[in-house]
Amino acid sequence: MEKKDQKKPALAVQNLTKHFSGVLAIDNLSLSITQGAITSIVGPNGSGKTTLINTLSGIFKPEQGTITVQGRTVPPLHPHDVWHHGITRTFQNTRLFEQMTVLDNVLVVLTKRSVIPSLLETKDDTHYDQAKQVLAATNLWEKRDQLAANLSYGQRKLLEIARSLATDADIYLFDEPFAGLFPKMVTVVFTILRSLKQEGKTVVLVEHDMDLIRKISDHVIVLDSGTLLAQGSPEQVLSEKSVVEAYLGQ
Amino acid sequence: MDVVFQIVANSIIAGSLYTLIASGFTLTYSTTKFFNITHGVMTAVGAYTVFFLGKILGMPLLLAIIVGVLFAGLLGWVLNYFIYQPLRKKNASQLSLLVASLGAFTAIQACISLAFSSQFQTISHTAVMQKTFSIVGASVTQIQLIIVASALISFVSLTFFLKKTRFGTAIRAVSDDEEVAKVIGINTDKVIGIAFFIASALAGLAGILIGFDSAIEPTMGLALLMKGVTASIVGGLTSIFGAVVGSFLVSFVENFGIFYTAGEWRDAIVFTLLIIFLMFRPNGIIRT
Ligand SMILES: Nc1ncnc2c1ncn2[C@@H]1O[C@H](COP(=O)(O)OP(=O)(O)O)[C@@H](O)[C@H]1O
Ligand SMILES: [Mg+2]
Repeated sequence: MEKKDQKKPALAVQNLTKHFSGVLAIDNLSLSITQGAITSIVGPNGSGKTTLINTLSGIFKPEQGTITVQGRTVPPLHPHDVWHHGITRTFQNTRLFEQMTVLDNVLVVLTKRSVIPSLLETKDDTHYDQAKQVLAATNLWEKRDQLAANLSYGQRKLLEIARSLATDADIYLFDEPFAGLFPKMVTVVFTILRSLKQEGKTVVLVEHDMDLIRKISDHVIVLDSGTLLAQGSPEQVLSEKSVVEAYLGQ
Repeated sequence: MDVVFQIVANSIIAGSLYTLIASGFTLTYSTTKFFNITHGVMTAVGAYTVFFLGKILGMPLLLAIIVGVLFAGLLGWVLNYFIYQPLRKKNASQLSLLVASLGAFTAIQACISLAFSSQFQTISHTAVMQKTFSIVGASVTQIQLIIVASALISFVSLTFFLKKTRFGTAIRAVSDDEEVAKVIGINTDKVIGIAFFIASALAGLAGILIGFDSAIEPTMGLALLMKGVTASIVGGLTSIFGAVVGSFLVSFVENFGIFYTAGEWRDAIVFTLLIIFLMFRPNGIIRT
């Protein structure tokens, strides 16, 4: 990360605040996400990790604060702006296009964004190849003709990751991509995150497993009650007393 | 025996008309989850456009029909763009959208009445394509065959469109989860706008065909809306195939129902079917 100090952060928030009827989910939070690195966000349940991802992807509007993408302050994000800013995400509770096949769940991302040309566009080999590539990477190519609704829990998580890969975004926000996965699938996701980093992409990861975090993260950000408790390298942060306490206090 | 064949023929013709209406209703409902009442009045919009251009201005019929279909489609798009889309952006409730579309329905219907009187009218000066065929004992006119063919063509092309084109995939994605569709970069507003155009154009076509088969009046949309909506609900509100199955179930029940009772019961029979489905199979017959 020292080498990358001259770069602008991929994402940053300043004085971000978000309430849910009385609950202060994000409390005047400022932080930045390093370009081309894997940043893990940790913190006890309810500390605002998902809310942060939701605000960064336009699902929720913050009451206060600004968001900066690649060094540029952006107006309040709407869900449909997110892709234009090169951001993609997955959901803690997987959200697929249930009534579509696995293949269509990925192909739909590769659709021409201008509507009129897409009206009659049927099949395009390059799109098909791209879809095959991300489905192969997630071990779902054999399942391509199944409805998303019929996949197992782990396969659903993988398909959501495949769909986000197909967007070819610069910034990937993954909300608990490892949660509940079998060890074999954990390895698959792990490999994907590593290769994203190799391609120079920025990855933000919400995760609980300390071993995984140590292995994969360049940075760790610890949230507690919507505030920044600690940040830094994994070794440094995970041994910090306040962090250990926040977790034991659970 | 002959009379049974005639009832079957009538059911197929009515089912074809309902298919045109129900497919469109299903398309807009599945993308927006909103109960679009104006869909019904598009039948009258299509029919009266042809009436005006063809009968009053003397435009060649085929051209008038094409303009009528496109105009209904355009009006559907306009209503979505200027009324429903802004309301959705403001997170208006389903109820406000329903009331807004009821208002638009009434306003459009009133405009048609003002312009063309609320009398029954024939859509053109001369009877068009009324040549009668006898098919296994049932008599069917040319225009009725065209109605069946139109429904078949629109079913096949809509299904192809939704399943095979990229845009169709986008429509299905928006139906499934609009927010996620936005997040992955689909321009959901345009997708929904085009769904409205297609749906309204199909309803307009249904109205025009009804005009050539029988007669038109400004209030024709309400009963047709009810039948199209019943067919859509019976069909599960999610697929075009469901809408087709629902349309034919409605038309067969309706036509055999009035055979065993009386013509006055027509709407009551359809309404009963709707209530039965709402109570016992709210998700329709197709969805499991
Ligand atoms: N959509 C929502 N409606 C109401 N409260 C919410 C919503 N999302 C999150 N919260 C609340 O905000 C706080 C932070 O939640 P969340 O961001 O999901 O935490 P985490 O992902 O770190 O477990 C919690 O108190 C939670 O109950
Ligand atoms: Mg969470």
